[in-house]
Amino acid sequence: MQNWRTNAHRLILPGAALALAGYGIFFASPYDTRILTIAGVYALLVLGYQFIFGHAGALSLAQGTFFGLGAFVTGILATRFGLEFHATFPLSILIPAALAALVATAVLRLESHYLALATLALSQSVLLLAINWESVTGGANGLPGIPGVSILGWNLPRGTPLLVFVWIWVAIGAVLAHRIVAGAYGLAFRTVRLAPMAAAAAIGIDASALRLAAFVLSAAYAGAAGALYAHTLTVISPEVLGFGIMIVCLTMTVIGGRWSIPGAICAALLLTHLPEWFRGLQEYYLAANGVVLLLAVIFAPAGFLVFLQRRPDSAPRPPGVSNAAIPQMLPPKTELTVAALSKSFGGLRALDGANLTLAPGTITGLIGPNGSGKTTLVNLLTGLEQPDGGNARLGTIQLTGQPSFRIARAGIARTFQTPDLPAGVTVRDTVAAAIEPAHIGLWQDMLATNPTASLRQRRTRADTILQDFGLAGLDDQLCDALPHGRRRMLEVARAAAGNPAFLILDEPTAGFTQAETTSFGEKLQQLAASGCGILLIDHDPDFVAGISSTLVCLDGGTVIASGAPADVLQQPAVRRAYFGAFHESAA
Amino acid sequence: MLLAQLSLNALALGSSYALIALGFVLVLNATGAVNFAQGDAVMAGGFIAIAAASFFPEAFNTYGIVMLPIVLVGTGLLGLALSAVAYLPLRRHPPVTVFVSTIAVGIILTNSFNALFGAAPRATPPLLGGGQTVLGNLSLSQQSLAVIATAAALIAGLGFLLHATQLGRRLRATAQDPEIARALGINVTRMICLSFILGTALAGTAGLLLANQFFLTPNDGGVLMLKAYIAVAIGGWGSLRGAAAGAMFIAFFEVFVATWLSHPVAEAGLYLALFAVLLLRPQGLYGEAVQRRA
Repeated sequence: MQNWRTNAHRLILPGAALALAGYGIFFASPYDTRILTIAGVYALLVLGYQFIFGHAGALSLAQGTFFGLGAFVTGILATRFGLEFHATFPLSILIPAALAALVATAVLRLESHYLALATLALSQSVLLLAINWESVTGGANGLPGIPGVSILGWNLPRGTPLLVFVWIWVAIGAVLAHRIVAGAYGLAFRTVRLAPMAAAAAIGIDASALRLAAFVLSAAYAGAAGALYAHTLTVISPEVLGFGIMIVCLTMTVIGGRWSIPGAICAALLLTHLPEWFRGLQEYYLAANGVVLLLAVIFAPAGFLVFLQRRPDSAPRPPGVSNAAIPQMLPPKTELTVAALSKSFGGLRALDGANLTLAPGTITGLIGPNGSGKTTLVNLLTGLEQPDGGNARLGTIQLTGQPSFRIARAGIARTFQTPDLPAGVTVRDTVAAAIEPAHIGLWQDMLATNPTASLRQRRTRADTILQDFGLAGLDDQLCDALPHGRRRMLEVARAAAGNPAFLILDEPTAGFTQAETTSFGEKLQQLAASGCGILLIDHDPDFVAGISSTLVCLDGGTVIASGAPADVLQQPAVRRAYFGAFHESAA
Repeated sequence: MLLAQLSLNALALGSSYALIALGFVLVLNATGAVNFAQGDAVMAGGFIAIAAASFFPEAFNTYGIVMLPIVLVGTGLLGLALSAVAYLPLRRHPPVTVFVSTIAVGIILTNSFNALFGAAPRATPPLLGGGQTVLGNLSLSQQSLAVIATAAALIAGLGFLLHATQLGRRLRATAQDPEIARALGINVTRMICLSFILGTALAGTAGLLLANQFFLTPNDGGVLMLKAYIAVAIGGWGSLRGAAAGAMFIAFFEVFVATWLSHPVAEAGLYLALFAVLLLRPQGLYGEAVQRRA
């Protein structure tokens, strides 16, 4: 993980941290100690917020609420029930996390602006409750007299010991956050954020499970931060639930960078000291905070502290153990059966009872004029659209009605007419994310001895796959820097990385040169020979007929012909639909 | 009798909310982005009126209607500034970025007005005077009637602008598809700025109308913005008619539940209603007017 851009950066950060720690412990005035303690609290809050706002890419406005909730849980339990830290702290984490899990089903399936609105309404509701439930929360006056940290009868003194205690939690939080996002789990987040359609339908990543985990994690971190805040301030009021804390948290996250752990910590230190530096502005200093946020968004959307960020993909080349044999999990020999599949869009019947059977290990070509329902068929098969009638089965597994990622995990991968690749991710990582997606998980990485080791293994395997698809040497390039033909090939490599039983290719050769098309066809035949069934949609009948063992022609949403390619192309109905009446009369 | 008076109050409150929500949708449709500073524009309008009142001779400063042109121009300029700093530099970024930049402008406005005017609640003068009109055995608040009339006039003016003028056609074309609009030779940037000006000026007027009966503090922007947002979500994201209907729904809900139970219950109920709508009908009660951007 020592991949700062230059070696000098390796020393800057630990050096600065050491200097600051020395200052905080030995030289800081009581007032400075308090500010540094609060900076630690905010650092923990922001580290948590990075999960949902950074890694999951969802603008939740409830982070301040989870923070305030954690503070109130500690405050209420400590003042009214006399509970100690070892009881209050876990509950301050659990209760916000439980609230997040509870509202997640309603909130997380919403798109950006609705998600922001719903989380905002949630925080207003909790604030309203805190103000009006006076017997428990102390109402607008708040809860005074929150004791310091005491564990099993031992009291932690305030001042420097509390400062050190808070920063120990920041360190624990940072290490945990690093473990969670440094490995394959973090790569899965990036893939979902940058290529959501492909993540589900081409790879089989469960995006909603990722979002849920990010939301609950962010709430847990916020709860911990809130608990420490209550101990530091000794008095809390409903203000801790207000929008003010949310805004500070958002500002810190934008300034520090949404994905950088050192960035989060630096931004927390910087912004808690900002009011001190802006003191000359008197009552305008809060407005100055807004100016700083605005400037950060406009001029440094990736964070002012961007130089601290490891370039996300400047990972070292994996050790040269390439050609480590890919475990050949041969796909199951089953048929893909489509029965009477129908779909209408408004009054338009895009697919009208299509029947189709794909044999394992063979290439089936699918042709048909524009608007004949080819892409609709693919979208129905991969769960991006739901059919009005009919069904699709893989062997005995019912595919219809399943979410995209389950269909992909069952063994059906696809590519898109416009390649859906995660911009800013390397070619290697694009493929690495697609290897055994079912084995990527929060616990695996959090509890692994070395979460980056499994990612390194995936990268090694990805290199082998890339070599296999003629993309060797491009591993370190970013997806969006590839030329068109390579992008399409990369999409196929990614889809093949999961060893699917069937591969569905939607117009893969569009824009190819003749030479590219030919070598692409050879690659497909190799794939089929290794046992992977392929459904190939294309507009070039000669190319499709040349490599397919079965050809299917779709017109007006129904299958009008299927069989051996030469026979199908001779049928008058096919010639009429596909080549037009002119060719028929000319023939 | 109570029912009639409450309905009048609700109608007046709803027409002010409708102005805020309509402004919100104008910007939303033109840019695809949520303007989080919309509530602060309401607050700014109220305080511009309060500040302007102190410059007028006594004979005029009891009439809020005199401040209307000043508020329209002042908040219109604010809208222009908003588009210049919070939208135009970020138009190539994802919509969430604009969300954050308008939050930043909101912070700046809230805290600047706090520093200028203090956090104490203030009131604008009534539009025409604070009397009651007696109609049979009904006693109607003149302020409520004047608020309804002013909002109705502005909404009618907006309707005329959008549907009966060439400029309105350009605005609507931009909202529908900026790429095509540009191809047709429409100056899209200018139309977007105009949408911000109109949207913010409508919100500012709502501030002038609201802040007589309901006192205003510089920190009220957030709640007002949330109400506009809820109105738009209930009415169907991007629909002008839906936004107005949603605003009326919120106002009636608030006024009646607050009278029947209490104000906190009314507010909590509103959030619950929002959750119900988002859960059961994410496309809004009137259906989604703009394509959601995935």
